[in-house]
Amino acid sequence: MAGEAEYRAQRATGESPWVRRGLIGLSLAFLLVFLLLPLIAVFGEALSRGLAPFFAAMVEPDALAAIKLTLTVAAISVPLNCVFGIAAAWAITKFDFPGKGFLITLIDLPFSVSPVVAGLIYVLLFGANGWFGAWLIEHDVQIVFAVPGIVLATMFVTFPFVARELIPLMAEQGRDDEEAALSLGANGWQTFWRVTLPNIRWGLLYGVLLCNARAMGEFGAVSVVSGHIRGETNTMPLHVEILYNEYNFVASFAVASLLALLALLTLVIKSVLEWRYNYHGSGRH
Amino acid sequence: MGITLSNISKAFGGFRALNDVSLEARSGEFLALLGPSGSGKTTLLRIIAGLEFADVGHVAFDGEDVTDRPVTDRGVGFVFQQYALFRHMTVADNIGFGLAVRKRRDRPAKAEIARRVEELLELVQLRGLGSRYPAQLSGGQRQRVALARALAVEPRILLLDEPFGALDAKVRKDLRRWLRELHDRMGLTSIFVTHDQEEALELADRVVVMDHGVIEQVAEPDTVYNDPATSFVFDFVGESNRLPVTISGGRVLYGGSVLDAGVAPERDGKASLFFRPHDVAFAAPGEGVITATVSLARPHGGATRVEAGVEGRDTPLELNFTGTEPPRVGDLIAIRPTKARLFYEEQ
Repeated sequence: MAGEAEYRAQRATGESPWVRRGLIGLSLAFLLVFLLLPLIAVFGEALSRGLAPFFAAMVEPDALAAIKLTLTVAAISVPLNCVFGIAAAWAITKFDFPGKGFLITLIDLPFSVSPVVAGLIYVLLFGANGWFGAWLIEHDVQIVFAVPGIVLATMFVTFPFVARELIPLMAEQGRDDEEAALSLGANGWQTFWRVTLPNIRWGLLYGVLLCNARAMGEFGAVSVVSGHIRGETNTMPLHVEILYNEYNFVASFAVASLLALLALLTLVIKSVLEWRYNYHGSGRH
Repeated sequence: MGITLSNISKAFGGFRALNDVSLEARSGEFLALLGPSGSGKTTLLRIIAGLEFADVGHVAFDGEDVTDRPVTDRGVGFVFQQYALFRHMTVADNIGFGLAVRKRRDRPAKAEIARRVEELLELVQLRGLGSRYPAQLSGGQRQRVALARALAVEPRILLLDEPFGALDAKVRKDLRRWLRELHDRMGLTSIFVTHDQEEALELADRVVVMDHGVIEQVAEPDTVYNDPATSFVFDFVGESNRLPVTISGGRVLYGGSVLDAGVAPERDGKASLFFRPHDVAFAAPGEGVITATVSLARPHGGATRVEAGVEGRDTPLELNFTGTEPPRVGDLIAIRPTKARLFYEEQ
């Protein structure tokens, strides 16, 4: 009986079992070939000479410097983008002002522009021959080919993540909760910390997570502004490339596997968050 | 606390939401703002609360000008249409919110807040539900939490935006009566917005009927129903029939023939004749009556509701008849309004 009911339910949706199996098989095959195999290859190559060279590649001074720089860049750009993202989402969803549509488009710009172009913008602005180049040299400030440039480029590329995550969420929630808090005598600051932030916390965490993953993994924009100075301006992705170009495959893949681990970790946390988010979201009304 | 609104105007972009509105709510009064959507009633309520600011005009509480005072400092209780409960807080934390956010020197101790919350839970008949979350409550319970939260800061003015809009009919009736009692017991001045005339007439001391950003009439429920000031009020409050008529030489002409409507026209011109479904009587066929064909007849309370088509009118008249022999479908009836009102068209 149950089998028949199931069969009828399937028939009702229109596709024959063969089409279904075919589609599922195709997706799985695609995932296997394009995502899982490369991932295995990364770890396989990294461990191909055993554990000792694998760990050696990671504790080598240049690698450590790259790891440290990547963490530093993420530690600066993620919190800043978090603040900017909340501010932008807040402005867009809670106020009406002229130029709102333009601002929304602007937020998406980093997604639509090639990261290389994003990097070049900063070279054009702050490079030795750039608009502010002369002034910067005069005042002995180095932005391009130094950490500030890398931070700027990373921030540019990762700006949309938090804002994009929050705008639909805050738009759906409307202004009622904030107005209620204000009518009860709360000031703006109290309203933000006690009402707005708790309302958006899961969405915010999710955005921060994606922002962080991209900040650590960004290659193109950072590559343009970094200058590739070993032990100084090399982030992990750049370090991987240099090692690879030097035919140092084990070390290259060892560092790459660290980045891959980070990606996996991000995915796990993201799934957990999504589960919690939906769990809380479903009981909202 | 009395509320005085003088010459309030407000526009959103090109849309004029309120147009030179003046209104007075006496201390202790329960006022209903009644009107269709887009009439400006909610905007007016939000301006009283300080959630919106008037472009022109003044708001005063007990004679004190509060026009520029933001909602945070106005000390009014506001109940939102969708309640706007803080979903991440328990019921008790929701109710205690207004006390917990006070400046340190005005803030009651934790134990005192907890005691006040218990009192309020008792007041809104939700004892024992303090540790629940809003999502775990029914619509009526959420409504009462919203009310308790607004009352926690001891406002003198209570403003409610469509307070019963999201509730089913039975809960709505109970809650209505209960809210009215609460208002009287706490000595509040309350204003609520509604598009439901029955609610406004049953609950309010006075009803403010609004349309297109202006006040059409402010009066006791009885007066609004029995002596509507404008054709809009007649049409909007209660059921009514409208006949386009021409006044000529002191006589009412409908469709070219004289109609004996029991009204005393002041001047000639085009006008609308309004009458309630139950304000009609059978008449002998002939001069001065409306002749109509019954298209529907069904029981309606203790009477019979009849829909009858009239020549030159797209929608049928709605009539109520009491008596043992109501008309049947297909009958040709002759009727005469026993109580009608004439409103001249604007020139």
